[in-house]
Amino acid sequence: MGAHQNANFRMGEREMILITGFFAIIAILTYMFPSFAETNSDGQIDWITMPLVGFPIIASGVLMAFASMATRRRKRNIEMPIKLASLFFSLFMLAITTSLFFGILESINWDFSTFNSYELEFSYAWNTTLGVNWHVGMDALSFSMVWLTTLLLPIVMITTWEEKAGWYHHPLILMMGGALIGVFVSLDLFMFYVFWELTLIPMFFLILKWGGSERRYAAQKFFIYTFTASVIMLLGIITLYFLNDGSFDITELTRSSQAASDRGDVWLGANMQNALFLMFLLGFLVKLPAVPFHTWLPDAHVQAPTSGSMLLAGVMLKMGGYGLFRFCVSMFPDALVNFQWLLLTIGLVSLVYGSLVCLGQKNLKKMVAYSSVSHMGVITLGIATMEPLGFTAAIFMMFAHGIISPMLFAVCGSFKHHYHTLEIGAMRGLARHSPFLGVFMMFSWMASLGLPLLAGFVAEIAVLIAFWKAFGWWVLLPGLTLAITAAYYLWSMQRTIFEGGLEGELPESLHGESPVDISRWEGSGMMIMALLIVLFGILPWIVFDMMSGYSLAVFTGILGFGGV
Amino acid sequence: MMSAIDYALLIPIIPIVAFPVILFIGQMFNGMPSWRKAWKEGGTIAVVVLGVVLGLSLSLISGYIGAVSGWDAGNANGDVSAHSATESNDDAVSANVGEYDSWINFHITDGDNLISESFGFGIYLDHASVMLLFVASFLCLMIGIFSLGYMNTDEINLDRNHRFYAEFLLFSAGMFGMVLADDFLWLFIFWEIMGLCSYLLIGFYYDKPSAAYAAKKAFLTTRVGDVFLFIGLLMMWNLFNSLEFATVWSDAAIAQVVADGNQGQLHLALGMMFIGAVGKSAQFPLHVWLPDAMEGPTPVSALIHAATMVNAGLYLVVRMIPFFANDQLAGDLSTLALTIAWIGGFTAVFAALIAFVQKDIKKVLAYSTMSQLAYIFTGLGAAAWLLNNGHTTAGLFAFGASLFHLFNHAMAKGMLFMASGSVIHEMHHAHHKINHSHGDHDDGHHEEDHFDAQDMTNMGGLAGKMPITATAMAVGSMSIIGIPLIGGFWSKEGIIASTWKAALTDGGFLLFGPALLLLIGAGMTGFYMSRMWFMTFAGKANTPVADEVVEDTPFIPIPLVILTFMTLGAIVLASMHFIGWASEGFGHLSLDIVSGLVHELKHAFLPGGDDSVSSILFLVTMLTIFLSMIVGPFTAMALYGGRLDAYKAKPWLQWLIRLSHKVNSRSHFDNTAWAESSLAEALDKRLYIDDFYDNICEKWIVVPFANICAWFDRRVIDGAVKGIEYGSQETSTYIRSLTTGSARDYIMMAVLGIFAIFLLIWGVA
Repeated sequence: MGAHQNANFRMGEREMILITGFFAIIAILTYMFPSFAETNSDGQIDWITMPLVGFPIIASGVLMAFASMATRRRKRNIEMPIKLASLFFSLFMLAITTSLFFGILESINWDFSTFNSYELEFSYAWNTTLGVNWHVGMDALSFSMVWLTTLLLPIVMITTWEEKAGWYHHPLILMMGGALIGVFVSLDLFMFYVFWELTLIPMFFLILKWGGSERRYAAQKFFIYTFTASVIMLLGIITLYFLNDGSFDITELTRSSQAASDRGDVWLGANMQNALFLMFLLGFLVKLPAVPFHTWLPDAHVQAPTSGSMLLAGVMLKMGGYGLFRFCVSMFPDALVNFQWLLLTIGLVSLVYGSLVCLGQKNLKKMVAYSSVSHMGVITLGIATMEPLGFTAAIFMMFAHGIISPMLFAVCGSFKHHYHTLEIGAMRGLARHSPFLGVFMMFSWMASLGLPLLAGFVAEIAVLIAFWKAFGWWVLLPGLTLAITAAYYLWSMQRTIFEGGLEGELPESLHGESPVDISRWEGSGMMIMALLIVLFGILPWIVFDMMSGYSLAVFTGILGFGGV
Repeated sequence: MMSAIDYALLIPIIPIVAFPVILFIGQMFNGMPSWRKAWKEGGTIAVVVLGVVLGLSLSLISGYIGAVSGWDAGNANGDVSAHSATESNDDAVSANVGEYDSWINFHITDGDNLISESFGFGIYLDHASVMLLFVASFLCLMIGIFSLGYMNTDEINLDRNHRFYAEFLLFSAGMFGMVLADDFLWLFIFWEIMGLCSYLLIGFYYDKPSAAYAAKKAFLTTRVGDVFLFIGLLMMWNLFNSLEFATVWSDAAIAQVVADGNQGQLHLALGMMFIGAVGKSAQFPLHVWLPDAMEGPTPVSALIHAATMVNAGLYLVVRMIPFFANDQLAGDLSTLALTIAWIGGFTAVFAALIAFVQKDIKKVLAYSTMSQLAYIFTGLGAAAWLLNNGHTTAGLFAFGASLFHLFNHAMAKGMLFMASGSVIHEMHHAHHKINHSHGDHDDGHHEEDHFDAQDMTNMGGLAGKMPITATAMAVGSMSIIGIPLIGGFWSKEGIIASTWKAALTDGGFLLFGPALLLLIGAGMTGFYMSRMWFMTFAGKANTPVADEVVEDTPFIPIPLVILTFMTLGAIVLASMHFIGWASEGFGHLSLDIVSGLVHELKHAFLPGGDDSVSSILFLVTMLTIFLSMIVGPFTAMALYGGRLDAYKAKPWLQWLIRLSHKVNSRSHFDNTAWAESSLAEALDKRLYIDDFYDNICEKWIVVPFANICAWFDRRVIDGAVKGIEYGSQETSTYIRSLTTGSARDYIMMAVLGIFAIFLLIWGVA
């Protein structure tokens, strides 16, 4: 590297071309991969392994290796090509999932409602002695999450385009995407766990490098807290492994669980199933997070950079919800029935208590973080209803919250970025100084409080219908939450966007500087999210139908109901 | 060719699409001269859009009346018993214009079965929705035209008018959608859209803390009601597995509910939904947001209080009436009907009382809105009770009268708000003019801060200077008061008579309360509306500003003139048998106006008929007229009347001024004692209900509780986590201290360990 130090710095352009060309070749080669691979029994090409999981992880590794080899000065030159390459790859992933959804690459109808059956299912033997396979596949549950992830990746990159040290930042996001998709597509418990922990690593570094002043504490707390819970889950996984003749295969495990229910038995015995259910549940509840295991979330969010918060709230929390469906609901139905009260309690407490804590917050980002806790209660409640509609509502909530909460955090991030504070009430008249930020803030706040024709409302009405069916008058508590949610959002808006007279009041943290409105990058990212929120609010059936199909499959599969 | 549903769908969709368009274009062209002049900062687009929407609505309405309801050239007397309630239900079902299925599809358990259900979207027309569609689209256009004059000539709105017009269009789209929707879910969805827009528009001057507070208050107060409405919808869905009007009203569905013994559930569901209506239509105890909503620009007040938002709550109750009318539920829903009537009756008097002492011209109108809406609620409550107890004919008449009052009130109140806006606007301008001519005097500046262009004590004697506004205001007030033959008289008289009739029916004695309250309220209405008019328009100018007022803003007079004739024209509608038509019980609109008028007059002023209580009803009517026309206005004249100083009013107003002067000079009322009484102060403070909500509920309960929760979370839950952290750190520090590096210690520990293992094995063995 030293040899090039003296070279003319217009070299940057050449490097740009070189690196872009290099990655174009990698891209082409990697995307050739599926076409060379064998097709599975359904005649489908493996669009998952390399394009969606392997590639982003490998590519981000290579990109970061590149960046780490460059000198500080050269880093600046290659920043733009690296960011562009990351964006390009994430858009490519989005193109693949979107084409899969619309049946362009493979003719898949995601509305299918057969329990424990997967599309694009591929299995490659990996470690035969241990019985670990690279087994992937998607059903509507995992597909909606994968789609959500690929939707978010480019949005996150665009919104945080101007983040410092972009040469590491953007590849890390790409890696995060690969790891997250790995969680959602794994049909092998071993691989599932590997990816589950792998997601912690990029997030840990995102918080550690780009975070706020107390990022060290937050990153450690985040890591240790979720890791501890995962270890208990790992214990469950190992127990499951030994109880089933050394099988990590999720489809097989689910099948034997279903077979046991069909016989009228309790799979693995009632006590064992309950114990396993609780072990898995703990791992997922911490991830979700549910009260009382939620305190890592506000710390992590407040210290995390915008991109970290967006991915954390947008997709990482959904891993908990995904796991609940994939394991707690699908594999341990008897335990689920036993612990329905537990889920109900935790869901209600998360919902109501979370929203009350929001009302007492003085930090904007913390308030938004607690609102996530509150909204994630909806997922637990949806499962606790034990109604197909409740399941659908929970999954739709995961999807809708996956678009809305990144927007909330993008707004918070911009606010912090341009006003150097997150304190509610430190300023007045945001709408006058930064009209675009004000508009986006109001929009996302409204989306989050469940305004009709925006995505969150659909989940809300669906879960409450199921809730009323299952629990009747307890519905007053979620109803109360609707009012409290409106209260804290409106109150925070009154004390930031509104008021302040014709001049407005600026926060002290600006030290007399005049604030600037959001940049084009931030604005575009938020605009895309806003459009998506409107799109899925007005036309929810785009994803609702496939979720509905999945819920029906799970419901009929585990509870032995006949078809409709 | 477009199908009917697509055609109808255009009505909400066009303004919804225009909403982002205006916002976007406005942001791009803000400040350009042509954007300000020719485009009126988006106002032109808005008015064109609203004009198109009105055209679409009118053609939809005429098509509907032609196809379903029909015109009736003869039969002016409207054979009352010709149509029964159930027949009208069948009519209504056939009016289901169209339906898009499956907005969302889902599965849910129903007992031991799994069922597949869906929510769709469809258009539903019946007489009530057609009427409200006309009211909304017509008034929105009027207010749009008014805004061109009101908003665009005010400096303070410069460069933010596009926001106003965009939000205005979204608001009206919400109302159109709500009226057209064919099920309760979409009604709720558009209802919430309106809630959002009211928030945005009330907070239009977002930099003013009072506006920000008012906006938040409006949204949160209605939200509380909405939560109950939402729960009511859930309950209803659970009963019917559907929220579509046509389904839930059908005899078969209700028969199923009755067979399952779920009438109580239905009763409760409707009750919950009614709380939503209370919030939206600002009835006690969820009324607190409405007077504060005056913080928005005046066109917004007209929009919220006349054309759209407050009517939404009434419309919801109107949509509940078919349940009351269904004879399978006879007698099961009486409690709710009585509750509706009582809340209405109480609010009618309560709001009128507060209106007595208001000095702000818009606040008077705000409380008047509350009071008049309460009349409609009482009418609907009485109708519901009558229908539910088998008195179909009387019930349908009460229902029709309520709908007619909704119509009349919307027209008159829209006009009144616009007229008050005209007054405020001209006062404001006159004030500016005076300040300008005085130059940069410090005095002028000082005055600027304190001058309140909305305070009626600053006005006086404007009748000569603002003839169009004064006329409009007079006609509107008369319509609200119920001066015979003008506007609201027909409907208000109908409501009061119906409530009395219900009270006099067997078992209806609990309705005596609301009936009596309405009667008292009629006199109070006469007082506070006259007080407002005479304070503003009669007497001498109270301030130099009021002397300088000129009525010269463009666009503002147009809607005032149109609406004046519209209000006066209510007599035509009345004689066309509108009341019977609106309730769908009496059949068709009659074109035989003359005999219709005779019929109506006979009904109103002549005792007789086959009814045993008709003589009492006649007395009630006469008493109403006496109170509202004589007692109220003359008291107001005695207190506030007076001759104009320099100007001369138009001939049709001159007699009123002269009369007020005569009454004023001959009577010697002294109201200072009562104006300084603690009651007046309490009324001025809105009977401390707002303070109660603010202090007790917000500052003393909700916020401290939330703070306690936040503290609990930080200290206890996170504290426990931190405790574990700390504990494990301490432990590890301690354990680390054991690794001393000295071989002696390690051997010692190994020996101890072996000894311990030995003990363990020995113990187990």
